[in-house]
Amino acid sequence: MKQFEYTIRDEIGIHARPAGWLAKKAKEYSSTITVTKGEKSAVATKLIALMGMGIKCGDTVTVTVDGADETEAFADIKSFFESNL
Amino acid sequence: MKDKIFGVLQRVGRSFMLPIALLPIAGLFLGIGSSFTNPTTIATYGLGKIIYEGGLLYSILEIMSKTGSVVFDNLALLFAIGVAIGMAKREKEVAALSSAIAFLIMNTAISALININGGVESLAPNTTASVLGITTLQMGVFGGIIVGLGVAALHNRFYKIQLPTVLSFFGGTRFVPIISSVVFLLVGVVMFFAWPIVQSGIASLGRLVLKSGYAGTWIYGIIERALIPFGLHHVFYMPFWQTELGGSMVIDGVTVLGAQNIFFAELASKSTEVFSVSATRFMSGKFPFMIFGLPAAALAMYKTARFDKKQKVGGLLLSAALTSMLTGITEPIEFTFLFVAPLIYGVHCVLAGLSYMLMHILNVGVGMTFSGGIIDLTLFGILQGNRKTNWIWIVIVGLIYAVVYYFLFMFLIKKLNLKTPGRESDDEETKLYTRKDVEARKQSGKSSSDITSALILKGLGEKQNITDLDCCATRLRVTVKDESKVSRALLNQSGASGVIIKGNGIQVVYGPKVSVIKSHLEDFLESPKAERLDEILSGDTETAPSTDEVKSSPGGKQVVLFAPVKGFAVPLEKIKDEAFSKRILGEGAAIEPSEGRLYAPCDATVDSVFDTKHAVNLLTDDGLEILLHIGIDTVKLDGKHFEAHVKNGQRVKKGDLLITFDIEKIKGAGYDTTTPMVICNPEITESVLGFKYGEISAGDEFFSVKI
Repeated sequence: MKQFEYTIRDEIGIHARPAGWLAKKAKEYSSTITVTKGEKSAVATKLIALMGMGIKCGDTVTVTVDGADETEAFADIKSFFESNL
Repeated sequence: MKDKIFGVLQRVGRSFMLPIALLPIAGLFLGIGSSFTNPTTIATYGLGKIIYEGGLLYSILEIMSKTGSVVFDNLALLFAIGVAIGMAKREKEVAALSSAIAFLIMNTAISALININGGVESLAPNTTASVLGITTLQMGVFGGIIVGLGVAALHNRFYKIQLPTVLSFFGGTRFVPIISSVVFLLVGVVMFFAWPIVQSGIASLGRLVLKSGYAGTWIYGIIERALIPFGLHHVFYMPFWQTELGGSMVIDGVTVLGAQNIFFAELASKSTEVFSVSATRFMSGKFPFMIFGLPAAALAMYKTARFDKKQKVGGLLLSAALTSMLTGITEPIEFTFLFVAPLIYGVHCVLAGLSYMLMHILNVGVGMTFSGGIIDLTLFGILQGNRKTNWIWIVIVGLIYAVVYYFLFMFLIKKLNLKTPGRESDDEETKLYTRKDVEARKQSGKSSSDITSALILKGLGEKQNITDLDCCATRLRVTVKDESKVSRALLNQSGASGVIIKGNGIQVVYGPKVSVIKSHLEDFLESPKAERLDEILSGDTETAPSTDEVKSSPGGKQVVLFAPVKGFAVPLEKIKDEAFSKRILGEGAAIEPSEGRLYAPCDATVDSVFDTKHAVNLLTDDGLEILLHIGIDTVKLDGKHFEAHVKNGQRVKKGDLLITFDIEKIKGAGYDTTTPMVICNPEITESVLGFKYGEISAGDEFFSVKI
């Protein structure tokens, strides 16, 4: 299991569109990718749950990657956050 | 807390619909019947040749009048039963019976106390009434409503009560009429002492009215309307109509007391040139709002009803409006909004009062037999001639009233989102369980009653095998489709002391506690738990991931989604945002809206409304996750020009208003308002099909999802 913390810089936060792209990315891997903010968390492939967290600009989230392809997934997801969010 | 009170009020209001639906027809019978059997009417129009006592027409009218009147005379009882049925959660028939009993007991307790304390004569005039032959205090519909509400509360609290074994025959639903009787005996005693205080307060208000001229007429009107729900209006206006309080006058040499008596004496007198407004000021004010105002209010309620309910409430509102117009019986229409929206009733009272005052100022002298509909207006206004009555002002003021009522009701209903008929959210009792309910129950573990119910159900060959379920004093009596599926072993395990199988009739003996077992079993049968017997019985508390649960349910289901907004439907490809056009967010379609009102496309639970109010996620019972997204990039407006009407976790029905938005302003700010609706969890869907493109109205079929 691997995890990283990330503070959202995109001014609109994880909204419909970014959530869609993140979910799409997460589905490419067999690992389970979880986004956690405070007490709430969501599996990244579950769009509604992701959007429902209402993550905004300036929020810090913890992203956990767990599974067989976690090394590749971790690198890819991390760079997705850094370049898009 | 506020939401809770509102929710209760809404249910109370809805529970009134059953008795209210009867009122229009009863009102027409009463109005027509009593107007044309009134001796003054007959004498004035020389109808004595056609309508005379003992004659056929008179008899028919008399029957109409009496049968209509019996409904209004017993309105309190109808409300007691209707409210109890509406408010009881389950086993409603028991609540209905208990309420009827409690109503009789309360009134009889009052009656006994009246007798003990010196009979009716010792009480103020017009404060008593005969209810079902019981001489009791005049409490009007209010008396019925407190019984209905009280009994429903007792019922919901006690209908599953378990008593010690010796007394267990009296447990469960059988306990409800017993406790209701005891409680309402005491309520009756309390009422005997408390209610006259209220009544005397009202009577002293009457004296205030007399002292204050035009303003007094206004106050009279307001009070008269405001007292209707409490049945206290008779206490208040009767003295004006029938006693010296309403004036005295010498007509053709005879002294006549009371406003209505004066009017009818003048009507009968050949020497009357103009009707005395000092008398009719207590009557004429009814015409403008009864013939014009309230029907316009009904139209406003119809217009604001949810599109899928319009047809249903249309009939009710139309007949209620007609009743008010023709006969001046306003309860059917007033009760539709009185309890769900007390505020508009308040406004209505003020306007009604104003109507009385305007008629007074404008010297309108039209009287009435008992209320202000077109029948009475024709007989005692129009046919008397404008010179005597100034009736034309009723029409002029009335038309203004129609406009005022229509727009005021429209405005208040929309602004405050009042739950007038056709706008209420549906009852939670329609067997729709939200996922949250189900999950909460799963997590809270399994109660022993659930396990018992699950055992019984399994022992009877599961839900599909049961065609009928009932119980007698000690046995559960079940009719099954296939008796070979019944398992004695499992039924015994559930606590049965014996099982009798005769063809497809099964009797399971539990002893007197059976009525409680049956109540639990019925609850259980209606819950989704009935489909998961093995899970409950296996002791496995692991909750399966929700999507799997849906997949494992009998497949091949097709869910129809309706257009959430009026406009022009287009495929997702048309959208200038790849997240939608490339279906990153999911399959679906979009609408270019022509009206800024977003409605629920199906029954669902609101999973989340975005803080920026431009989008909402819905979750259906089948597990579909639906995203409704108003406009493209509109997240940047940060909520401006959007207004959300639902909250997270709220249950919505197809056609409920979710979000309103200002199309012009959003476009003005430089955004595209195209509104996609997409299914966000393609993993549970088999296919999305049947798209309708082009002109579309909210509520039309839009596309379907196969699960």
